Amino acid sequence: MCEHGEFASLILGGMAPSAPVTASLFFTCLADALYPNVALATATVLERFGVTVRVPLSQTCCGQPAYNSGHRKEARKMAAGFLRAFDGDGYIVTPSGSCAVMVKEMYPVLFRNEPRMLDLACSVGERVFELSQFLVDVLGVTDPLSAFKGKVTLHDSCHLVRGLGVREQPRRLLRAIPGVELVEMEDSDRCCGFGGVFSVKNPHISCAMVEKKIERILATGAQYVTSGDLGCLMNIGGAVSRSGYPVQPIHLAEILAGPPPDEET
Amino acid sequence: MEPKCHNFSRNVEQALANRNLQAAISRTTGRFLEHRNAAVRSFPGDFEAAREAASRLKLATLRDLDIHLSRFIEEAERRGATVHIARDAAEARDIATRIAKDEGIALAVKSKSMATEEIGLNEALEGAGIEVVESDLGEYIIQLAGEPPSHLIAPAVHKTREEVARLFSEKLGETYTEEIPELVAIARRRLREKFLSAGMGISGANFLVAETGSVAIVSNEANARMATTLPRVHMVVASIEKVIPLMSDLPPMLRLLTRSATGQPISSYVSVLTGVRRPGDAEGPSKLHILLVDNGRSAILRGKYREMLKCIRCGACLNICPVYQTIGGHAYGWVYPGPMGSVLSPLLLGLREASALPDASTLCGACADVCPVKIPLPDLLLELRADARAQGHRTPGEVLGMKGFAAIMGRAGILEALERIGGVVCRLLFKDGKIPWLPFILSGWTDRRDFPAPAVRPFRKLWKSKRGVLPWNR
Amino acid sequence: MEPLGSKDALIRRIHAALHGHDERAAEPGAGPPGPPGPSAPSAPPASVEKRVAHFSEALRSAAGTVMSGDLYAFLPALGEALRTLGVTALLVPEGDPVARELADALMPLGPFRLASTSELLHGNSPVTAGIQSAEFAIAESGTVVQTGRGGRTLLPGLVTEVHVALVRPDILVDRMEDVLSVLAADPPRTISFITGPSRTGDIEQTLTLGAHGPKTLIAVITQSP
Repeated sequence: MCEHGEFASLILGGMAPSAPVTASLFFTCLADALYPNVALATATVLERFGVTVRVPLSQTCCGQPAYNSGHRKEARKMAAGFLRAFDGDGYIVTPSGSCAVMVKEMYPVLFRNEPRMLDLACSVGERVFELSQFLVDVLGVTDPLSAFKGKVTLHDSCHLVRGLGVREQPRRLLRAIPGVELVEMEDSDRCCGFGGVFSVKNPHISCAMVEKKIERILATGAQYVTSGDLGCLMNIGGAVSRSGYPVQPIHLAEILAGPPPDEET
Repeated sequence: MEPKCHNFSRNVEQALANRNLQAAISRTTGRFLEHRNAAVRSFPGDFEAAREAASRLKLATLRDLDIHLSRFIEEAERRGATVHIARDAAEARDIATRIAKDEGIALAVKSKSMATEEIGLNEALEGAGIEVVESDLGEYIIQLAGEPPSHLIAPAVHKTREEVARLFSEKLGETYTEEIPELVAIARRRLREKFLSAGMGISGANFLVAETGSVAIVSNEANARMATTLPRVHMVVASIEKVIPLMSDLPPMLRLLTRSATGQPISSYVSVLTGVRRPGDAEGPSKLHILLVDNGRSAILRGKYREMLKCIRCGACLNICPVYQTIGGHAYGWVYPGPMGSVLSPLLLGLREASALPDASTLCGACADVCPVKIPLPDLLLELRADARAQGHRTPGEVLGMKGFAAIMGRAGILEALERIGGVVCRLLFKDGKIPWLPFILSGWTDRRDFPAPAVRPFRKLWKSKRGVLPWNR
Repeated sequence: MEPLGSKDALIRRIHAALHGHDERAAEPGAGPPGPPGPSAPSAPPASVEKRVAHFSEALRSAAGTVMSGDLYAFLPALGEALRTLGVTALLVPEGDPVARELADALMPLGPFRLASTSELLHGNSPVTAGIQSAEFAIAESGTVVQTGRGGRTLLPGLVTEVHVALVRPDILVDRMEDVLSVLAADPPRTISFITGPSRTGDIEQTLTLGAHGPKTLIAVITQSP
């Protein structure tokens, strides 16, 4: 629904930018309330590569839960709030594939009958990048300079892999970390069963799906399961914590940031 | 069949409790997918380009469906077919029953057809005293069992060989055997008798070719060929969106259909049937009735769900769907399961019956990726969810919850205050940071999962006050 | 009886849905012609040898059997194969001299007799091999094509246990399009594209041959005349 503006054509080259880069952190409501370290880690990684990080504090939630459950009026309200908070220029970076897809792909649907808002949604949407996509495609990062150590398996979140087409970027970054051993699980891009409101409305199906996912995670023998989406990690983590499976969910941003210095030995 | 979509959550419970079913579904969907993926890899040419072309062909045909359908009717009738139109399922049943009665039919053999399942044809004909026998092996099995199909192209996937063996011995009086080749041989023998004595063969259509008024049917077992060759009357039941303009459109559509369905480059048999038996023909029915069923399609055509009518019923979206893989076809409560069913059933039956189906998807997008005609299934599911809410179909507490959520998210200040209160309270209640139960509509989440307790200091607070002293940023 | 003019009503309904016109104002039949179909990948025509090779490979992967070369060299093998399959009767359509010639040559190789169509349509039929010259064959998919043109029967490849299709290399075409373009102008009542034996996977996804049609398909590629 959106036509690509100049912004998109300038940044899709994947070349390391020469001018200083500014990015607004779209930290997401899940990270804000439940996993603040993920948002901090995201800011840390961005700053490590010379990005000036802005944090619009008027942001709340992109509206995805409302949109996905069919409550379009409420979703529009939240989306309008998001657009107000992020109107302007520079990149918008988020540690969440699904929130990025919401803004980039779903806002144009929400505002399809409001030309002025549609324009705004499109111009904000094309500035939005998921973290690993931003690092690899925009900044040209080849080594995240992380001291993280451990055997890691990657769950491809649905929105990242199918919504944004981001499959290789997180793998490239993980493989570049000397202390990380990346082990692939079977069907890494099969849905974990979260689906936002789906996990609330259809909890039994959702639980059966996450058990299947955990089976495949455990089969790799990895210590950590990582992903670019907090929803998946909350779902997988919730089942891991209840059943005591021997694997630790950790967001990709936290691995890229590396262990906090005081935890290093 | 009587729709049971409104019982979705009960259907799901039953499906999840059925171990045989679980094993059968994961085996079937896994194999179908494996074969499909291999067929896509060995596709002659660019598979993505072929999908795009097929999608464009179907859309363009739908855009001028009146023209193509008029041409189909005209060409079919010119070649001796009688075309009947049914506006809805009830009218379709009436017309089909009248045709069978007028033709003096006592026994009809059917090859697999979703359109006949949709209109409930078997029950109608049986109600009129006409014996109807399904001849596709899977359909035959579930007809004996008195069950609906659970997969578009593998209707009896949920049945084990032991269950089939029991059915054949109990219902047919055959000697009990669990050997699959012997079971197939029993069906072959029993159904051959039916093919040879039936007065009417009933089939669906995979495609209706407007240019020539032809009906194209794919099958692997040859039952469609039998049913359309041996009986004296052939009745085709097809929904109106099956039309393609030209004979030359058929091969590219078939290449996608069979590969997406079973992974075969082509099915064992493709029949292209045009008109009735002509003078000098060696065999074939002398009467051909084509029953075109609208049943809500012209209304779908009008609006934002038009793309759903591109569907060619390959079943690929079922096989790849992690929800279908978990609950199987019966849970969806009607003839169309999986992602395509979650869109089509509410459109055909109404959201009052089927509003639970659009919600039964994680919107993972795998279905859209695999669809050979590129139906944007997740987008259509989202539209249906919005329509369902607008029409007042919702779970208890949902509206209040969402209004509250929107109100909190309306102001960053309110959100932050609530986050901090929530964080403190939860840390007092749940010292290890795990919430083992959630209240009200959220309770299902914590049946088998913990929920993380909110942080005492949300990120926005950290960023404002403590930035600079946090470990990473020393 | 359905309401008179139900076809017009359907077309008007669809037209109104598409164009938002008043139903009465709709003029079915008017409008732009249909779009061109999706163009499948088209390659330059292959040589006969290539076609034969493609055809054989594709049919074998669809569980078909292919015999080619000098007919009299593999005739004993064909006879042996039919005997092993329990065949006792051969069905040959009228007006198919090549099939008849093969049947005659096979006769001494087993206790075979000629079957009639009518005995195959009345239960308790013998295990029969239907022998028939194919009208077309398609290299891309390993497909044999039979039609009802000129009073031909399709029963030898349908109601039998074994279907022996005689494929002359010069009837081989590259793709399905090449067959349909010939037949589209005046399609016969039946066109059957046959690729391998009848099969089913309906019980536990176990591939089983001979569901309703032939259990075995043998394509005999004969030398060009």
